[in-house]
Amino acid sequence: MLIQVEQLVKDYQLNKNQKGFFHAIKNLLMPEYQKKRAVNGISFSISEGEMVGFIGPNGAGKSTTVKILSGVLKPTSGKVIVNGMDPFRNRKKYVSQIGVVFGQRTQLWWDLPAEDTFDLLKTIYKIPDATFKKNMDMFSEMLDLHEFLHQPVRQLSLGQRMRADIAAAMIHEPAILFFDEPTIGLDIVAKERIREFIRSMNQEKGITMLFTTHDMQDIEKTCERMIVIDRGDIVCDSKVDEIRQFSDSERKLTVKFGRQYDRIELPGAQMIKEAGNTKTFQFRTNEVKIPELIAELMSRYEVLDLTVQETDIESIIKQIYEGGAPAYESVS
Amino acid sequence: MYPLRLFLKYFQLTLKVTLQYKFDRVLIAAAVMIREMAGVIILILMLNRFVMIKGWQIDEILFLYSFLFLSYSLFVFFFTGIRDFEDLVYSGEFDRFLVRPVGILFQVIASKVDYTAALGHGVLGIILLQKTASQLGIEWTASGILFYILMLLGGALIQASIFMIASTFCFWTVRTTNLRNMLFFNSRKIAAYPLSFYPGLIQKFLIYVIPFGFVNYFPAQYFLKKPEMNEFWSGFMFLNPVVAAVLFALVCLVWNYGLKHYSSTGNALY
Ligand SMILES: Nc1ncnc2c1ncn2[C@@H]1O[C@H](COP(=O)(O)OP(=O)(O)O)[C@@H](O)[C@H]1O
Ligand SMILES: [Mg+2]
Repeated sequence: MLIQVEQLVKDYQLNKNQKGFFHAIKNLLMPEYQKKRAVNGISFSISEGEMVGFIGPNGAGKSTTVKILSGVLKPTSGKVIVNGMDPFRNRKKYVSQIGVVFGQRTQLWWDLPAEDTFDLLKTIYKIPDATFKKNMDMFSEMLDLHEFLHQPVRQLSLGQRMRADIAAAMIHEPAILFFDEPTIGLDIVAKERIREFIRSMNQEKGITMLFTTHDMQDIEKTCERMIVIDRGDIVCDSKVDEIRQFSDSERKLTVKFGRQYDRIELPGAQMIKEAGNTKTFQFRTNEVKIPELIAELMSRYEVLDLTVQETDIESIIKQIYEGGAPAYESVS
Repeated sequence: MYPLRLFLKYFQLTLKVTLQYKFDRVLIAAAVMIREMAGVIILILMLNRFVMIKGWQIDEILFLYSFLFLSYSLFVFFFTGIRDFEDLVYSGEFDRFLVRPVGILFQVIASKVDYTAALGHGVLGIILLQKTASQLGIEWTASGILFYILMLLGGALIQASIFMIASTFCFWTVRTTNLRNMLFFNSRKIAAYPLSFYPGLIQKFLIYVIPFGFVNYFPAQYFLKKPEMNEFWSGFMFLNPVVAAVLFALVCLVWNYGLKHYSSTGNALY
């Protein structure tokens, strides 16, 4: 396993009402913190060449996990081994083998053309001229960097900036890449572009990747495996296909009844919503066939109107967050 | 040599950023100089009524000032990142430093240079030095020049240490900028006058607590040779590099300890 995380806990310490120097000194001598648990004992492992999506709502602990994996933060407890190293303890050696993209902040020098940052990175990572040129050519071709490499970064669109940022995180050919919300704030076209690039880098170069997002589309289009995290806990870790299969079989049936029924029984379906005479049921096509269900419904009750809807992955994820999850087993 | 090459690369970029707004930056540098000069002029007007105060001529006091301006100029040239450390942390830029295979302090120091302040204070310092030194008939021997430069470097390092102590609090996400500025700039103001003007408590403060005395007063004695230096240990005259090195080393220890407690900033958006 390339990445191994066991029982990882991260507590932030918030100092409440402790502004100012004297409080700060008092704080150092007699710490008086309020703990905020951001990651609550999560475990997972990722093997070489895998691409894993980390999805969860805001405040779930995604960024915190990425920061720990990239050696920025020290875990409160638990074990993190990446590439045989402890990211925090072996920071300097470790970070030369990873690339990190913090989607919300650029690493490009704001007032300078992006090429200057690449130049700096070349020196930082001691990249040989030939390798540097080869990679720059590749990125230029795949991400069209050449179109805007000479413009000051502050003039770039968010999509251009993000492309340059991703290239910057990869210029030293890291074996592992962490992306924290690489598609945040982008339009569909720009998102698609980045997804495509990430996917091809994973497939062609075999770079191991973990990226966080709260956009399910990102995951559906790029990852084979996804980990759902909510309030610091992993609530689901499974193959995207399995969830897709599940969503493929799940349907919603919305029925408008002709009169008031106190009790409605429909074998194979469960009522999930009720608004007057309009009621919504949920069922799975591998358990009941749609024609049979509708025949049953019509024979028992007076029906004015009905629609059948697919459940998309998005709403399944939402159910998982909300705890009303269908029983998912971890398959890792 | 890797560190030097990297330092020069950063230097090239920070310079390029500054040169992008040449006109702007020159104006700011001029403004900084005028602001500081105003302080000096007010001092001259105030003292002009006396030929001497407590045995000091105006030129001697201005000579003290030259140490302050020139060492501050060197300080911002090398250590702007430490001066502005809080911004670095709160903007999240510091996280980026941590994912690079380079020493943290190195990046903090190399990635930011406030050229305008360096220029503003530097030019003013040179003007003062040039004017006062000739008035006072200071003879610039090779060893004198070397001593002066060494004292400036030490002075810059002492000031860096003071700012660095304050920056350590950022690791515990405590904002102390105001207090730091208050302590630093007030100490600097006090240190503009000879130490002998002050009661013992303030003297001790500027020797043992915030050792601005070693930035200008004691090194200046090497050139001015005032009799009042007898009240202090004569070794203080040469102690600047030692104070600088010891203080900086201690502060680095504390800073590294703080670094272990760094907890990043929450997300800018959420
Ligand atoms: N530096 C910090 N100090 C204190 N609390 C933090 C810090 N960073 C994040 N948090 C808190 O930890 C929780 C998880 O945050 P984060 O990992 O940023 O979530 P996500 O990236 O999934 O939106 C949130 O409740 C957030 O407010
Ligand atoms: Mg986040």
